[in-house]
Amino acid sequence: MRWICGVLAGAAALLVSEAAEPDKARPHWAFAPIQKVVPPEVKQSPWVRNPIDRFILARMEAAGLKPAPSAPPHELRRRLHFGLTGLPPAPSATAAAAADAALVDQLLASPHYGERWARHWLDVVRYADSNGLDENAAHANAWRYRDYVVNSFNADKPYSRFLTEQIAGDLLPAAGAPQRHEQITATGFLTLGPKVLAEPDKMKMEMDIIDEQIDTLGRAVLGLTLGCARCHDHKFDPIATAEYYALAGIFKSTRSMASLVTIAKWYEHPLATPQQAQLEEKHRALVEAQKKVIAAFVEKANQQLLVDKAPAPLPAKPEEQYGKDTRDELEGLRARLKQMESGAPRMPSAMGVADGAATNLPVFLRGDHDSPGTVQPRRFPRVLSSGQPLALEGNASGRLELAQWLAGAENPLTARVLVNRVWRWHFGRGIVPTPDNFGLQGEPPTHPELLDWLAGWFVENGSSLKKLNRLIVTSATYQQASAASAESLARDPDNLLYTRAPLRRLEAEALRDAMLEVCGLLDRTVGGTLWEFENYKLVFDHTSKDMTTYETRRRSLYLPVIRNHVFDQFELFDFPNPNMMSGDRAASTVAPQALYLMNSPLVLRAAEALALRLTEAPPQERVAQLYQRVLARPPTPTESARAVAFVARFPGSPGTTVKAAAPAPVWQALAQALLAGNEFIYLR
Amino acid sequence: MNASHASHPPDAPPTRREFLTRCGMGMGWLGLAGVAAGAAPAASPLASRAPHFFGRAKRVIHFFLNGGPSHVDTFDPKPMLARHAGRPLPYENLRTERKTGMAFPTPFKFAPHGASGLEISDIFPKLAAHADELAVIRSMYAQVPNHEPSLMLMNCGDSVQSRPSLGSWVTYGLGSENQNLPGFVVLCPGGFPIRDADNWTAGFLPGAFQGTRVDSQHTDLDKLVENIRSRHATAEGQRRQLELLRRLNAEHQQARGPDDRLESRIQSFELAYRMQMEAADAFDITREPAHIRALYGEGVHARQTLIARRLLERGVRFVQLWHGAGQPWDNHDNIEGTHRKLARDLDQPVAALLTDLRQRGLLESTLIVFGGEFGRTPTVELKNDGQSRLGRDHNHYGFSVWMAGAGIRGGMAHGATDEFGFKAQQSPTSVHDLHATILHLLGFDHERFTYRYAGRDFRLTDVAGNVVKEILA
Repeated sequence: MRWICGVLAGAAALLVSEAAEPDKARPHWAFAPIQKVVPPEVKQSPWVRNPIDRFILARMEAAGLKPAPSAPPHELRRRLHFGLTGLPPAPSATAAAAADAALVDQLLASPHYGERWARHWLDVVRYADSNGLDENAAHANAWRYRDYVVNSFNADKPYSRFLTEQIAGDLLPAAGAPQRHEQITATGFLTLGPKVLAEPDKMKMEMDIIDEQIDTLGRAVLGLTLGCARCHDHKFDPIATAEYYALAGIFKSTRSMASLVTIAKWYEHPLATPQQAQLEEKHRALVEAQKKVIAAFVEKANQQLLVDKAPAPLPAKPEEQYGKDTRDELEGLRARLKQMESGAPRMPSAMGVADGAATNLPVFLRGDHDSPGTVQPRRFPRVLSSGQPLALEGNASGRLELAQWLAGAENPLTARVLVNRVWRWHFGRGIVPTPDNFGLQGEPPTHPELLDWLAGWFVENGSSLKKLNRLIVTSATYQQASAASAESLARDPDNLLYTRAPLRRLEAEALRDAMLEVCGLLDRTVGGTLWEFENYKLVFDHTSKDMTTYETRRRSLYLPVIRNHVFDQFELFDFPNPNMMSGDRAASTVAPQALYLMNSPLVLRAAEALALRLTEAPPQERVAQLYQRVLARPPTPTESARAVAFVARFPGSPGTTVKAAAPAPVWQALAQALLAGNEFIYLR
Repeated sequence: MNASHASHPPDAPPTRREFLTRCGMGMGWLGLAGVAAGAAPAASPLASRAPHFFGRAKRVIHFFLNGGPSHVDTFDPKPMLARHAGRPLPYENLRTERKTGMAFPTPFKFAPHGASGLEISDIFPKLAAHADELAVIRSMYAQVPNHEPSLMLMNCGDSVQSRPSLGSWVTYGLGSENQNLPGFVVLCPGGFPIRDADNWTAGFLPGAFQGTRVDSQHTDLDKLVENIRSRHATAEGQRRQLELLRRLNAEHQQARGPDDRLESRIQSFELAYRMQMEAADAFDITREPAHIRALYGEGVHARQTLIARRLLERGVRFVQLWHGAGQPWDNHDNIEGTHRKLARDLDQPVAALLTDLRQRGLLESTLIVFGGEFGRTPTVELKNDGQSRLGRDHNHYGFSVWMAGAGIRGGMAHGATDEFGFKAQQSPTSVHDLHATILHLLGFDHERFTYRYAGRDFRLTDVAGNVVKEILA
């Protein structure tokens, strides 16, 4: 992970290096306690729907600017549906259907809300179904963590609880097996990272894994690049190397790996019920019995061979000398064994961590584990603590205390980072534009008072994500039209003041899901796995042949995420690199995306299915059906007339009728044009 | 909804005058309409444009040796290292990413080549035959000893902030000579380098200038350029369909006002349509005669270099060739074995390219740039146990980049590192200087070559950069 801290360590070479001094840097806004903020007074108060709007409007008014009018209902509806569930509105929704609070509640209650927001979170935790790096072993049980995230968002688990479970769920009391399994599964967060599983230096392997955990945890939860302090005091943020190793001790005292022997294996918690365990035991006995039968059979046949061929000794490959009947029978027995083995009941297990032997680590000078310095008692970094944090003692790792400290209301960064992420996922840019870095190298917030007000509100409201989402999407700020006035464009070109709604491109997953959905092809089943890889097995053979299939009609969330080999269709539309956490996806526009929409099998199939769903009707009505399905609105008269003319003039097709099995190419072409259009892929 | 269309039948193309009145909203309009009508596109963002003044170079090919090739093992001979072999340098080792120890002489042999006597290491035997064409800048320096910022600096002119890449700037400045291929193509076999597509991002420049990356490990066109062929649509059908799409997108954008992203996306369809035709030809090296293929040799680097030449020949403005995914040249261990292998990958293809371009009369108008994001230490890297594995650490204090072709005075070395090769000492040349020189060769005054964004004018060279006049022919 050296290159992750490259930017910081690198840039540091330009500066005079001095040891981290937490107290000196305390004034940095992000480390200060969350301020109690009163939403400012504004002139144009009728526009205000909730306190968010006061912060936004006050800045606009100070700049002499006005907000945009409200978005038209069909645009707002589409924005809400995609924003909260990642899916388009049902085609049956009429243009006049309200995009109101009731719709927001309905979407927040949808099981697809959890899927949508799980995918955001999975970016932050570098979720993947394979290890990547040197040994691309299958994370066959990672999906349980994914389901955990979906369920947690759907249940609106408080964020503080959600975090605590992911860091120390195995150490929390549980009311019964289901809760215990849920909490254990949550700790998959810590082990999902890429690991050098064939690292010969085992100590290095362990320290690298710990470093990856600290780095991800720091950036995901605190927006701090804690990992930079592994080799030197952090160059910009007040995190000393000693503090890094004090924290690393907690993870050293945690069991993340089942075995370090090459190829190393990560730890998994068994999730079997007693009945399942019994079943497995029974099956194992059957397999053993069959093996004994085979051994006895071979022994007997060999004896026979010795008799038949006496005085010759037993040949090197006696089975080749058996009679045909004997050979056939043996083959049958072995086939049966193979069948039994492949039919073994799969024992459920979940990636996750457990407490190991409590250990304190020394500082490793320059990150070199062969150069130990002074031993550091396990404790949390000082920068976010008032006074010297207490050393963690006793036989426990301290992970539970760490989780509680991170999730605690007095920690100023956790809530700020989270509300900023949520804001980023709605608006395309965080209040702090660098959502994964709140340190001195991050960018300052554009609206610091709003950030603190939101963070405070979030904590006061039980750190409920659904409440936070509701607050944001019902604000007048969110509900503005994206159409820009000349003044807004000229004086707020980058929309830093939110004088209009941002235009958002659908993410790779939302694009694919939307395409399948409007064509009636999407399978909306929630949860589970599509992937049948054996756990720990390498997902590529030596020929690098990709054995993963993406042929499914399930939501994109359920497609396997293979490190070093992300689904090309997703890569094309800026799916983040799953080797590292990322809270800020790109949205590039390149010609290969256009080629994809013009020629890829999925798009062609979707367009065909869409054309097939149009009912027998005059062209004008069919055009209306198409617009309703794809864009969730009726066509304007101009659009309708143009589409009808397109149909009439399309080469080689009368275009007015449709056969049941094969749609006329022209309707497919028209459907495809709408799917490829900017209105479909951009949310206004 | 769309007043300007009201006077026309819905399916008729808008008049040319209407296009022109909308130019403020988007420069890309005429592109697809032009193609659809069978005419040359007129105002596409990739239309060829003249620079500030006459530039010798019309196109650029950039070999990017990602990971940091060692200058003292390739283009910067340091006999003093042999004299101090295994002993400390007379000065304290400069601070790099990791600890380094004693002087580590190159395991390779340098010899003078050509009439110029330019010294090149024996891991580039075929390239050495072109010594008289190369201008080696031996005094390059970057800012930090880490890959990410140095990649960003070399590609985008800034270690920290996200900025448009060199290829994007050049394509923005000159457009492209071929409207049917991307103006800026990136060939990288087998994956992505560190920082992925940030290395060829258009940043705040319009999206049409972003590098289009092709995974050159494939040989099959459908895999090289995915979705390049339509399996069902006739050309006529697809053209009409795209014309409809253009109208839909134009209306969508008009309702909203100017937006780079919408503009880029309209462009991207036009380009994609044309790529279908042209790419099939450009990427197919089997259309090259046997003797040319033999000249470049076997393997992925031969193939991608030959593809690059075919792209340049067809008017693509900027081609960047990466050595591979990750950082192949990052040899912290075993410099001898790994550098030898890596150099062998490139030696024949690069030499062949120089020969081939010369034969075609293209060398004098094509600028070839060859180098990595930084160099490596002349001292041996020390592992945690104090032992070495005969590798070198990153070194941003001094490294080499060479250029050849258009406007370059060949057979020379410019500047120098200190006697051990640690630090640029004589005529230190910054990455901004290199960029300024490249822009100069293309006909741009780097100080006047700007783009207004977020309220101020940006340059590739920020507030620095001096043209390295000594290497100009």
